[in-house]
Amino acid sequence: MPIVEISGLRKSFGDNEVLKGIDLNVEPGEVIAIIGKSGSGKSTLLRCINGLEVFQSGTLTVDGKPLLHNNAGAMRELRQHVGMVFQSFNLFPHLTVGKNIMLAPGLVKKKDAAANEAHARKLLGRVGLAEKFDAFGDQLSGGQQQRVAIARALAMEPAVLLCDEITSALDPELVGEVLRVVEGLANDGMTLLMVTHEMNFARKVADRVIFMHQGRVHEMGAPEALFSTPQTPELQQFLNALRD
Amino acid sequence: MVEFSLWDILRNLLNAAQWTIGLSLMAFVGGSSVALVLLVARLSNVAGVGWAVATYTQIFQGIPLLVQLFLAYYGLGLFGINTSPWVAAGMGLTLYASAFLAEIWRGCVASIPSGQWEASSSLALNFREQLRYIILPQAIKIAVPPTVGFLVQVIKGTALASVIGFMELTKVGKTIANATFSPFLVFGCVAVMYFLLCYPVSLYAKHLERKIHAHR
Amino acid sequence: MRIELDFAAVLAEWPLLLTGVGWTLVLTTSSVMVGMVVGIACAWVRGRGFGAGIAPAWLQRLVGAYVELIRNTPFIVQLFFIFFGLPAMGVKVSAEWASVIAMVINLGAYAAEIIRAGLEATPKGQMEAAQSLALTQRQVFVWVVLPPALKKVWPSLVSQIVIVMLGSSVCGQISTQELSYAADLIQSRNFRSFESFIVVGAIYLVLAVATRQLLNWAGARFVFGRR
Repeated sequence: MPIVEISGLRKSFGDNEVLKGIDLNVEPGEVIAIIGKSGSGKSTLLRCINGLEVFQSGTLTVDGKPLLHNNAGAMRELRQHVGMVFQSFNLFPHLTVGKNIMLAPGLVKKKDAAANEAHARKLLGRVGLAEKFDAFGDQLSGGQQQRVAIARALAMEPAVLLCDEITSALDPELVGEVLRVVEGLANDGMTLLMVTHEMNFARKVADRVIFMHQGRVHEMGAPEALFSTPQTPELQQFLNALRD
Repeated sequence: MVEFSLWDILRNLLNAAQWTIGLSLMAFVGGSSVALVLLVARLSNVAGVGWAVATYTQIFQGIPLLVQLFLAYYGLGLFGINTSPWVAAGMGLTLYASAFLAEIWRGCVASIPSGQWEASSSLALNFREQLRYIILPQAIKIAVPPTVGFLVQVIKGTALASVIGFMELTKVGKTIANATFSPFLVFGCVAVMYFLLCYPVSLYAKHLERKIHAHR
Repeated sequence: MRIELDFAAVLAEWPLLLTGVGWTLVLTTSSVMVGMVVGIACAWVRGRGFGAGIAPAWLQRLVGAYVELIRNTPFIVQLFFIFFGLPAMGVKVSAEWASVIAMVINLGAYAAEIIRAGLEATPKGQMEAAQSLALTQRQVFVWVVLPPALKKVWPSLVSQIVIVMLGSSVCGQISTQELSYAADLIQSRNFRSFESFIVVGAIYLVLAVATRQLLNWAGARFVFGRR
């Protein structure tokens, strides 16, 4: 059964319709890369899935449960199953790296302190930053901060991880360390939806690539097929622009 | 008990409010003049002056206004000067205002990028010319909103002059409240009058602040 | 004309001064603790992005009126209103209670505006990240929004607390036995008026500096520190 089911999703910002009817099913363990020009609605789609954006019509179901915006309890439940990593990391500056990771499991899942810390240390080790447990975000490089952000999202043990252009704000030489962590997650069977500009990474790791254009799913398919034989002129144009 | 109608109360309070306004303006104008001197002295970089002005500011910001007024009152008496409440309150509030205004203005001048100083001295302007043509015109624009805002503090400060016998709004209010045994009503009216004096000034200061930020 | 200043006569009355300092500190501490809570609550009600979208309009207007009223009237009038006015309405208050109530109401209004500025400066990404981690609105506010906001406005808040502490000198006018009342008492005994207020002024200065240092340390340690 699909872990995320989207049907006829429409979203507008005021008069501007940004998502013009999205249909998408995501299977557990799938890695989906979403590409497209800025303004095509990619980030908005992602933010609809964890409820940061409210959509006007259509249905969105995660793990069999439909998204109910007005129900705070339902939203909280949803966000325990769907994690998000942001372009600007958004680490909490007043908490250490370790405390950043431990905050939500402690408050939401009521994990006991010892188990929480052990879990946090394990996750930090998994992203290669075990020794930074007591450091503060502003003492780390961008790549390190983003890896901490990934560990923080993983601490809630989500079924789906949303990655919103997580390497776009990084200096080029730091991108690799973050992508390596994500590749590891993909290999471990995590369901990933990634908005990304890293085409090579998408080619290598994604099971499916979605090209969005003007608020619609314009083309969709396996990475090899999509990148080497784009069917529509818009995708051809997009890929050409990237090559230049 | 003296019979006072509401109109009697208001009439007496309005009368007293004149003195509040008068004292406020006097302290504000006087304080500004002294603050200007202090500011220029501080900016002139003469040895020891900066420290002296900073200490002056620290003292006036670290002692309650009430105590400052008492010191003015008793201090003047010590020197044999006629301690009319006007003089004591006027002097006390003037010095109080000068310390705060000097600090506000110093902050505004400090926020002018050092590049302005460097550029103007590279053009061979001397200190006085730098201040007059480059620095102060820019600093004044930034300084107007907080200065206007401080006027509100001065108006509120005049209420303490009542304690050293100055017949302004609060003192007259207290007297009437005692005479009529209706403190709730009388002090309520006193509060409303201060509000009517201060709130427009506060709004104006906020408006000026927004205008400045809109330009940035 | 020789002016003779006799500070010894004033310092001899050190028990009175000590009582005065004690009361000043008690008044300040209790009103700061309650006043901060009032300030945070009011800041939330009017905060754009916080209560401004949730709290009922009448509450927002009420809090707004409270804040503007207190900020545009002198503290001494607020104090007199509470101390002399409440009994006329049938509520008996002691001088000390009237002082604390007045100081709480006063600090609350100023703190509300200061803290509101801090709240509204919170980067949106912080709140989104916290929401994405399934924290409730209240958890987001307490754990993610409030500490950095307080840190940001801590200097202004500390300045305001020092102002309130110095403002407590007015409470001596209703016979609360704080420091300026002690000065008045001393000078009524030995007629050393100028010296009394110099000594008391110096003590206030020391208290102001010490309070500022203490609050800066305490803020970093307890409220928003690098934990």
